[in-house]
Amino acid sequence: MKERNGISKVHLRNDVVMIILLLVLAGAGALYLFAFRGSGDTVNVTVDGELYGVYALSEPRVEEIRTGEDGSRLNRLVIRDGKAYVESASCPDGICAAHRPVFRRGESIVCLPHRVVITVVTEQRADSPDIVA
Amino acid sequence: MKKQFYRRMAAILLLLGLGLSACAPQEQKNRYSAYSMDYFDTVITVVGYEETKEDFDAVADEILAQFAEYHRLYSIYHRFEGLENLCTVNELVDGAHRTVTVDQRIIDLLLYAKEMYTLTDGVVNVAMGSVLSLWHNYRTLGKDDPANAALPPPERLRAAAEHTDIDNMIIDEEQRTVTLTDPLMLLDVGAVAKGYAVERVARDLEARGVTGYVLNVGGNVRAIGGKPDGQQWTVGIEDPEREDYFAYLQLSREAVVTSGSYQRYYYVDGKAYHHIIHPDTQMPAEGFLSVSVICADSGMGDALSTALFCLPLEDGLALIESMPEVEAMWITEDRVKTVSSGWNSYVKP
Repeated sequence: MKERNGISKVHLRNDVVMIILLLVLAGAGALYLFAFRGSGDTVNVTVDGELYGVYALSEPRVEEIRTGEDGSRLNRLVIRDGKAYVESASCPDGICAAHRPVFRRGESIVCLPHRVVITVVTEQRADSPDIVA
Repeated sequence: MKKQFYRRMAAILLLLGLGLSACAPQEQKNRYSAYSMDYFDTVITVVGYEETKEDFDAVADEILAQFAEYHRLYSIYHRFEGLENLCTVNELVDGAHRTVTVDQRIIDLLLYAKEMYTLTDGVVNVAMGSVLSLWHNYRTLGKDDPANAALPPPERLRAAAEHTDIDNMIIDEEQRTVTLTDPLMLLDVGAVAKGYAVERVARDLEARGVTGYVLNVGGNVRAIGGKPDGQQWTVGIEDPEREDYFAYLQLSREAVVTSGSYQRYYYVDGKAYHHIIHPDTQMPAEGFLSVSVICADSGMGDALSTALFCLPLEDGLALIESMPEVEAMWITEDRVKTVSSGWNSYVKP
């Protein structure tokens, strides 16, 4: 083995291989995290400021949000394809049911008459607004 | 040889580790949010960065307490025990409005509203309450009983429009009084009060050195300093029909206000009638899906977005281009987007 500046060519090659190997491992790890990052994404539902329920965006479901003293106020929350929307509501406004599906962090659907707020809680991504006007 | 291999590997890992840790943030402030549905008939959202939840709650509670005060003062629908507000200014006693002594914040709002009347050439008129209250009543009835929803009769709208002269709102700054000299006139501050209140609250926070917050009161967004890491706030402009935004804006101390036909409406015979009423036709203004305005003052943004919603595009564009540091985006009913000359400087790259 010829040595130059105390580092042999073989050692140098091993180091390069090692660095590449570590970078590949790190990349695979990052990909894994990226692919499964969505699994913790939820929508939080509050009624009158109190937490009503937390639902995973990854699990399709229909949730009947019943409020009011006799439970007669209804907002039918649907989670499908990682997005949440209000399919129908018994409120006079209808604004919540007309709202497009939400899925980015901070996006929300509000039913003022029933005092229901449905908010997406996820990690910040490139297309997550801080606030919506 | 093996020993040397492990040493080298340890050195590489150490270097990689150091490189990664250099990217980690130094100062840890967390993002918190709070909301209220109790004021201005809309949702108020507060987003801010603080080190602890307690720190954030203290600021957010104070912000909401201030909005509660403005709500009580500027409400035209509710009376509050022991308080003279715009509702009591609107009241008739023996067939006439009283001269009412009011809080300085009401005087300030009404003086500002007069400025906005001049700026928008009369399109934004707080003395249009007689017309707007008809719409409010028919909308409320129509939403509660959709089968019998109806439009306000045109003759009643025309009659009400005879009593919308803002010069009949007499303000005595020294005595702090308001008098409506036309018994059939009413005030409706819906086009200015939210934005004006947001601006007052934001300036109070700025004066006390608060930074790293953003407020949203029903589409009136105002940033109070950027985020602790130096980044600006990203504001999405809602597209009510699609999942993407019309624009992503970046702001650090500006206001952006959107007026949209989708924000408040009711159906009559299957057709939606929204809440932005044109002063000349007394009918919902036609032509736009939404108009957004960026400017330094949330109160002005509120008034301008309403005015632009009513004005033809060319007139609105001319108005905005004549004002320094005010930008706007118009989305027509058929989804055509127009922006003023400096709008794109706020758009996230």
